[in-house]
Amino acid sequence: MKFLRSVIAPVTGVVVLLLVWEAAVRIFDIQRFVLLAPSAIVSELFDDPGAYWSNTVVTARHMAIGLTVSLLIALIVGSLMAASRFVEEAAQPVLVVILVTPWVAYMTSIVIWLDYGERPILFLVAFTTFPVFAFGVVGGMRSADPAARELLASVDASKWEVLWRLRLPSALPAILTTGRFAIALALAAAYFAEGSALEPRGLGVIGRRAATDQSGGAEVLWTTIFCTAALGIVGLAIVSIAERVLLHWHASQRA
Amino acid sequence: MNIFVSGTIPTVSAVVELSNVSKTFGTVDALAPADLTIDGGEILTVLGPSGCGKTTLLRLIAGLVPASTGSITIDGVGAARARAEKRIGFVPQAPALLPWRTVRANAALLLDVNSAHSPASPSHSVDELLEAVGLSEFADARPDELSGGMQQRGGLVRAFALDAPLLLMDEPFAALDEITRTELRHLLTRLREPHGATVVFVTHSISEAAYLSDRVAVLSPRPGRVTSIEPVALDRPRRPEVEDSAEFFEVTTRLRRALGIGTDSR
Repeated sequence: MKFLRSVIAPVTGVVVLLLVWEAAVRIFDIQRFVLLAPSAIVSELFDDPGAYWSNTVVTARHMAIGLTVSLLIALIVGSLMAASRFVEEAAQPVLVVILVTPWVAYMTSIVIWLDYGERPILFLVAFTTFPVFAFGVVGGMRSADPAARELLASVDASKWEVLWRLRLPSALPAILTTGRFAIALALAAAYFAEGSALEPRGLGVIGRRAATDQSGGAEVLWTTIFCTAALGIVGLAIVSIAERVLLHWHASQRA
Repeated sequence: MNIFVSGTIPTVSAVVELSNVSKTFGTVDALAPADLTIDGGEILTVLGPSGCGKTTLLRLIAGLVPASTGSITIDGVGAARARAEKRIGFVPQAPALLPWRTVRANAALLLDVNSAHSPASPSHSVDELLEAVGLSEFADARPDELSGGMQQRGGLVRAFALDAPLLLMDEPFAALDEITRTELRHLLTRLREPHGATVVFVTHSISEAAYLSDRVAVLSPRPGRVTSIEPVALDRPRRPEVEDSAEFFEVTTRLRRALGIGTDSR
C-alpha cells in the first residue's frame, strides 16, 4: 500500500501537470516560442531521438567533469577551512563573491580568456559549483562529534586520520545535500556556457541556435529544455542513490 | 578463556603525578593549584558537583587542555608522549560511537588509529571483550540499534582494548538510568580486575565513587579545589553485595559529609 502510494502519487502529480500544460496551450492558443505543448515536444523528440540523445550525453559529460573537479577542489579547500579558523575566515568572503557574482555576465570574459571549446564550459561549471560544495564540506566537517574528536586526540591520531576516519564521514550528509544544489547550478552553467563557447555540440548549443530560428526553432528549443530537465532529474536520482548507499547509517535514511 | 580471572595478565599500571597544577580559562579559575599522586594500579575517583572542574582535571591529565601552571607526568613522561604512545584509554561522557561503524569496528577504533603504537599482542581481542560485556550478539549492529547502557559498554571495550596502563573516565555513566549505571560500575570493576590498570574516574555519584575507588578526591566548586582525599578501605575484589554492607554505608556517609551535603558547614 505504502509502495503503491509512493509510485502513484508522483506519477499523478506529473500527469496532472502535463494535462494542465497541454490544455492551457490549446485553450489559450499560446505561441509556440512562449510555451510548446508536451505532445509537440514528444513528437519532436521521436522525430530525431539520436540527435537529442547525443547532445544530452555531451552536456552530461560537461556536468560530470565540471562537478568532479569542483568537488575535489572543494574537498581540499573545505578540509583546510575546517582545520583552521583563519583559513575559513579568509576564504569565506571569496567563496561568497564567487557565489553571488552573476556568471551569465562574465562568461564572455571567460571565453576570451580560455578560448572557444570545452575548456571555458568545464571551467564555468566547476567555478560556479565549487563554493556550494566548499560550504557543504566545511559545515559537515565542523559537525563532527566533539567527543569523538577528543577521543581520537587521546591516542594522538594524526590530522589525516581524523580527516579520513571522522571528519569526512561526518561531512558526507552535508556534501550530498549540497550536491543537489550543485547539480541544478551545474546544469544551468553547462547549458549557458555551451551556447557561449561556440562548441559544435551540447544541449546549450542547439538551444541557442533554435532560439533565433523562426522556422521550427520553437520545437527544437522546447525539446532541448525538456532534455535538460530530464538530465537534471537523472542527476538528482544519482544523488539519492548515493545517499542510500553511502548514508545507510544516517538518520535521514531510516524509515 | 574467562577474562575476569585475576592475574591472567601481567600487571601494567601507570603512576600519575600532578604538581601545583591549575587551570584558568580567561578570567575564570577552573581549578585551583593541586598536588596529587595517583599510585600504579590505584583507582582514584574525582567526586564533586556539576561544574566544579573535575572534567577539566581529567582533561589536564590527558593533556587535552594545557595547564596554566604546574606539571603533570604519567610514568615520568608528559601527557603528549603518553598519548602518542597510547598509554591512555579514554572513556568520554558521551559514548561517541561513530554511527557509520559497526559496534565491533567502533570497539576497535582506538586500535585502528595511530596503529604503530597499538599493543603487538593485546591481552584480549575486541571480540573477547565484547563477549565479556555481553555485546557479542550486537558486534555487527550499528550503534543506533543499541540502548544507552549498551553503547557505553561499547565505549568501555574501546578503551580496554588498548591495554593502556592508565584509564581516564569522564562520567561515563552519568547519562544512564540508576539501574543501568549500577550494573555498569559492577561490570567496570570486574573488567579492570585482571588488568589492574590505574584509573582516574570522574563522577558526581557518591555510590559510584564508594564502589569503585581506592581513594576519592573530593572537589569543591569555583574554583575547583581538592578539599579532601578520602580513602576507601573496602576489601577487594569487590562484588555488588558490598553495597548493602555497613562499611559501604559508612563510606557514602563520609563522602556526603566531605561534599558538605546535609550539613550547615558551608
